[in-house]
Amino acid sequence: MNRLIAGKTQLRTLLVGLALVLLAGDALAHGERAQLASMRMRTVHWFDTKVEPQNVKVGDIVTVTGKLVTSVWWPKHMPSIAETVYLNIGVPGPTFLRLHSEVNGVPMMRSTAFPLGKVYEYKTVLRARIAGRYHVHPILNVKDAGSLVDKGTWLEVAENDSAAPFVNEVTTLPGDTINLETYGLKGVFTWHLIWIAMGIAYLLYWLIRKELFIPRFIRVRELGQDRANELMTKKDFVVSSLFFTGTLALILGGYFWAEHKYPITIPLQTGLVDVEPIDIPTGGLVVDVDHATYDLAGRSLSMQFTMTNNSDSPLRIAEFLTANIRFLNPEINEGEIYEGEEMVSKDGLTASVDIIQPGQTVEVELVASDALWEQYRMTGLIHDPDSRFAGMIFYYDENGERFFQEVGGAVLPNFF
Amino acid sequence: MSEVQANGLTEAETKGRALDLRSLDNPKAMKLYRRFDGIIILVLFMFLVLGVQIQFTLTAGDWDYWIDWRDRRWWPLVAPFSLLLFIAPFTYGIWYRVRLPILATAITTLLCLVSWLSRYLNFYEFTHFPLSFTFPSTYIGLGILLDCALAISRSLIVSTVIGGGLFGALVYPINWSFMAPYKVPVEFNGMLMSVADLMGYQYIRTTTPEYLRIIEESTLRTFGGSVTPLTAVFAGLCGIVIYALFLWVGSWVNGLDKFTKRII
Repeated sequence: MNRLIAGKTQLRTLLVGLALVLLAGDALAHGERAQLASMRMRTVHWFDTKVEPQNVKVGDIVTVTGKLVTSVWWPKHMPSIAETVYLNIGVPGPTFLRLHSEVNGVPMMRSTAFPLGKVYEYKTVLRARIAGRYHVHPILNVKDAGSLVDKGTWLEVAENDSAAPFVNEVTTLPGDTINLETYGLKGVFTWHLIWIAMGIAYLLYWLIRKELFIPRFIRVRELGQDRANELMTKKDFVVSSLFFTGTLALILGGYFWAEHKYPITIPLQTGLVDVEPIDIPTGGLVVDVDHATYDLAGRSLSMQFTMTNNSDSPLRIAEFLTANIRFLNPEINEGEIYEGEEMVSKDGLTASVDIIQPGQTVEVELVASDALWEQYRMTGLIHDPDSRFAGMIFYYDENGERFFQEVGGAVLPNFF
Repeated sequence: MSEVQANGLTEAETKGRALDLRSLDNPKAMKLYRRFDGIIILVLFMFLVLGVQIQFTLTAGDWDYWIDWRDRRWWPLVAPFSLLLFIAPFTYGIWYRVRLPILATAITTLLCLVSWLSRYLNFYEFTHFPLSFTFPSTYIGLGILLDCALAISRSLIVSTVIGGGLFGALVYPINWSFMAPYKVPVEFNGMLMSVADLMGYQYIRTTTPEYLRIIEESTLRTFGGSVTPLTAVFAGLCGIVIYALFLWVGSWVNGLDKFTKRII
């Protein structure tokens, strides 16, 4: 009876497990919320990200552009982006071909280094390869630190009208036009088949015999280790010698044949490229952070600043950006919201001072408040090893020109 | 407890061995042995294919997954190192017990077959990488050379020096026959790249950035830049050392059977 009950329980568990597997949805994100809040706030500030167009067919071109600022508040316990970094794109594998990528106009086929506190304008050109719906993110792979991900944009890739297979053609320096989708495969298949046939032939020779494992084990035990080699026959010697010679000839023959067929080859290429960084356009606004408080219950970050406008134009603060979340000041409609853009709080920012006049020094309080703090797990900020915040403020002069700079400092939590 | 005889066996053990030997002339017993041999082949090969796949994936995975990882310095060192440390202990056991020089060929052939299965299902069908970018390397010929060196010399020491050395030294030449096209130069955005580099750039790997590759990083830069032959010689020496070392490990593991006897 007990066994019957146990059996039913196991069956139910199995069925529930199977149902969970079958009902599970696709994994469509890239861990935007998984990283430490401090990592997202104090590493790279991504902005102006555009993915265009967002509805394409296989073979069409998609361009991803944007800017980023490397934070001067980079966590000390994390390897720095100023050492080695690679501009990448977060898509599900090679669903797109990367045709071009650049930072500040420098091609980015290789890795580079981004000094902190500078602006980098990037561009990645993709060609849709596999139909589907994808969440596309710009990504920076930082050596020994992992991936830093910008927010994603949904992209629809439809099948194209042609039934022809996808082709990716390039012309080599010797002048041959090749399709990388299938290039060299004929040789790969041929040589692999030859070697697999050789391996199987050798194994069959040794395995198809009257006395194999157990009889040979009995005989070796009887003969003892000193005489066990008597089990190896003259035929074994001859066949092994033939295989040895044939294999060696095939390896060397194949090598010299390939050398003859492809006389111009180069080693794999690597190395770092240099990128000239761009200075942050502060527009003459000097910002000192006086105090910052994170209110857990209110899901808001309150920041007190002393700001001095050294420019000759009045400035208005329009936006606070941190961890890819944009908090917009509803009083100023300058900040553009791009098509398909996520993580935007349209009225999430309040500023205690509307206009900072030229030459004026004022105390300014900015409050970035929205449920997005909770949704994107930013409340984890209070669990960080060094409680600091960082973000970008964006502001405009009277001509509508945009300026920005990074702000950051210690942050105190308010638990009640 | 039975008394031990001059040959170091008990009387019962001596009788048992005589019976075993006589059974080799018995057709019914031989038929049974053949069935057991079939089961041994099945179990052993299943174990080997799983074992080598996991071990090779963990120690030399990316070098075998991507054509743009197979450089002239590291891949010819990492691949034989990884394979020989798996091959050697099993070769010792099978040679010591049944005098069959087949393990290196079996392991490299099985690895090749299971790698193709993995590349086709996981890389090509599931994640859409072209096979031209992810085809596996082959080491079957090296396995044959290692086994044949043992079969011809009938000596683990000689096979270590000749077979182990060739196994390390010939990794690059055996694969060059089908790998050479991927090292043809291409000009891309004003930079020189090999076809393999270009494929690595174009076919996106989100978590395998360019800097992860270990390309030409070593101090083997003397002898007029003859990187490939120099690496081959060094890989051959490493092959000898690794193979010898893990044959010793095999002999040590093989000696553990005395404990199983006691348990039984």
